[in-house]
Amino acid sequence: MKPTMSPQAQAAQTISRNMKLISHNELAGFGGVGEGINMQVTKDGRRILWLAHESAPKNFTGVDVTDVKNPKVIVQTDLPHERVRSNSLDVVGDLMAVAYQTKKTGDKPAGMDLFDISTPEKPKLISHFDASGPHSRGAHCVWFTDGEYVHLTSGSEDFEPTHPNDFQFYRIIDVRNPSKPVEVGRWHYPGTHKGDKEAPPPRHPKFDGGYRPHNINVYPEHPDRAYVAYLDGGALILDISDKSKPKVITNWKYSPPYNGFCHTVMPLIGRDLLLVTDECTKDDGIDWPKLGWIVNASVETNLVPMSTLPLPPVENFSKRGGRYGAHNLHENLPGPASFRSNTIVFGTFFNGGVRAFDTSNPYQPQEIAYYVPGKPAMSPKSAVQINDVWVDENGLVYAVDRFGGGLYVIEMTA
Amino acid sequence: MLDALSGKFPVSVVTGFLGSGKTTLINRLLKRPDMNRVAVIVNEFGEQAIDNDLVEVSSEQMMLLNNGCLCCVLRGDLQETLRDLYVKRRNGDIIDFTRVIIETTGLADPAPVMQTLMTDEMLQENYRLDCVVTLADAVNGLEQLETMEEPVKQAALADRIVITKSDLAGEEVTAKLEARLRELNPQAPIRRALNGEIELAFLIDVGLRNMKGKLEDIERWMGEPDEHGHRHSHDSKVKSFSLRFTEPLSWQLFSQTMEVLGALRGSDMLRVKGLVNVAGHKGPMVIQGVQHLFHPPVELEAWPSDDQSTRIVFITRNIPRETVANLFSAIGAVTATA
Repeated sequence: MKPTMSPQAQAAQTISRNMKLISHNELAGFGGVGEGINMQVTKDGRRILWLAHESAPKNFTGVDVTDVKNPKVIVQTDLPHERVRSNSLDVVGDLMAVAYQTKKTGDKPAGMDLFDISTPEKPKLISHFDASGPHSRGAHCVWFTDGEYVHLTSGSEDFEPTHPNDFQFYRIIDVRNPSKPVEVGRWHYPGTHKGDKEAPPPRHPKFDGGYRPHNINVYPEHPDRAYVAYLDGGALILDISDKSKPKVITNWKYSPPYNGFCHTVMPLIGRDLLLVTDECTKDDGIDWPKLGWIVNASVETNLVPMSTLPLPPVENFSKRGGRYGAHNLHENLPGPASFRSNTIVFGTFFNGGVRAFDTSNPYQPQEIAYYVPGKPAMSPKSAVQINDVWVDENGLVYAVDRFGGGLYVIEMTA
Repeated sequence: MLDALSGKFPVSVVTGFLGSGKTTLINRLLKRPDMNRVAVIVNEFGEQAIDNDLVEVSSEQMMLLNNGCLCCVLRGDLQETLRDLYVKRRNGDIIDFTRVIIETTGLADPAPVMQTLMTDEMLQENYRLDCVVTLADAVNGLEQLETMEEPVKQAALADRIVITKSDLAGEEVTAKLEARLRELNPQAPIRRALNGEIELAFLIDVGLRNMKGKLEDIERWMGEPDEHGHRHSHDSKVKSFSLRFTEPLSWQLFSQTMEVLGALRGSDMLRVKGLVNVAGHKGPMVIQGVQHLFHPPVELEAWPSDDQSTRIVFITRNIPRETVANLFSAIGAVTATA
């Protein structure tokens, strides 16, 4: 043994800079969380953090974080079977949208549920939007911030992809009447639907992640724009001023040479910049580099990368086990309990933990804080896999592990 | 959300002449359960180094101590060692240390160590000087101060002074040494320690830890005024004094004055600490310098009290108060009030 640590000892050690753990909750033993986090402020003033689970058996969990030092699980729901996952949710007021994605095409439930969470302990199902079909695996992600439309990453009964990996596309669902959600518009990557006049897009030569949207972000400051991460199709900006006919404004396609799986496209509102993240999807650094990109969007039709978020070396982190690389961001959602900044960015990096960056100088973003929990006791992986993050309006950071670690509530100390 | 001071790792510099008990003091500190995340930088792993019963594993350059601390040998220069520690910490390659202690050699002039933290941009962003602790051996201290330059400088630069071996020297000699040290550095509080036993709070969190600028923190950092509220020394060579200006200063004139002082008498400006009321700024500007080098100024969020006058403490070699006050008057067109 040497004073410098083995990968196992490194993974066991919690490391941090300018961040401190306030509390930790393993979510009643079901601490595997997906990439849906949102905070509800109830009419009686409680703060409920809603978490979508990464996989069955649990659907979603509501955690009362009014007292951040003592988070309490107040509700935890089950999925109907092991062949479906929820993964993603969003909350507007007392309305919550939850996605359902099946393991195989043709299975059910596939699509989206809308819940009334005015009594958070007893979420009440309002409606189910069915997106099942012979070639559909349902919905992977919801974006729901205005109380009117859900921007859904989903398949549908009538969508037959040209390649089996391209089973989801962009659907705009009108939920103004939550008991009867209806599709009002859709868009798919040209060539991915059977019958398209365009040829199918080329497959990634090393890692065929597919052509599907992952996150679709729409902000009140730019209601006519959808910022879409389309996995191997790269980053897109769509004009959605006519929701029935989304139109492509630009597509920054950067893989290859990079390794695909564009995950999030987040505009830094007011700065003509985009923060684009990839998702690392392979263990042990196989698909490295998976990065957070700062992109110049001042000419919307010509997106140009400027820099990437500085990360510690893959040589260290890839040996600890699990994935290491970019994934989710705190997406500056509107809402009463959401931190919003166009300079400070929070991201999750699996075994690289949760990290904060100052992008004031977009050519040289600076890492300002990180928190990497030691290997969670209840995780089957040999290192933590921080999957998603939510930052509240007070700057408290809620980070979740993909397998067993549950919820970490963290404060910035600088 | 961002505080330019609170995110930096505090660095304590432990200095003192040969045989003054630096290693004993550090060993004592490392045995405390609340000092379990410290990286100690020593000059060598000699016979006098870290207690064997503390060492868990070691390599040529580093030792992991059984309380979780890390001890490493100064490699190349201090700058390189501190950079290396920072990078290894970020990579999770070593312990997640929260504090650094640097033990200087007995012959060392602490000024270059302090300056390293001020001049290297990467170190400046990640570390802050917390405290210079100077140890003085009661048996030999007086003679060392009379016959050699280095102990005088070590005492003059200190934030805290610890007198060791007073049991061997006896009260009379120890009291003489204490008086002599007070002459050299009236700002630095002095304590006596036997076998390295000393209250931890005396030695840590001396430097400003955040930009909130609480009065007690400022006073702790600036040092102790004597019973008349003044700071001045009676030594023939080492001078200690303070200047106070009630009107806000122009930053340009202030920095020009300090630049002239630094250019002409840099090597004799041993240490400067102060709060400066800069016209147009809400909080005070914290300045600190060692000889001709100054740390980039940091603006605190607010003044610690109603007293918003500029106050600067100087420790110099052969530069009397009048010289500095006159320079401020000539260049800065401001008159020191006290």
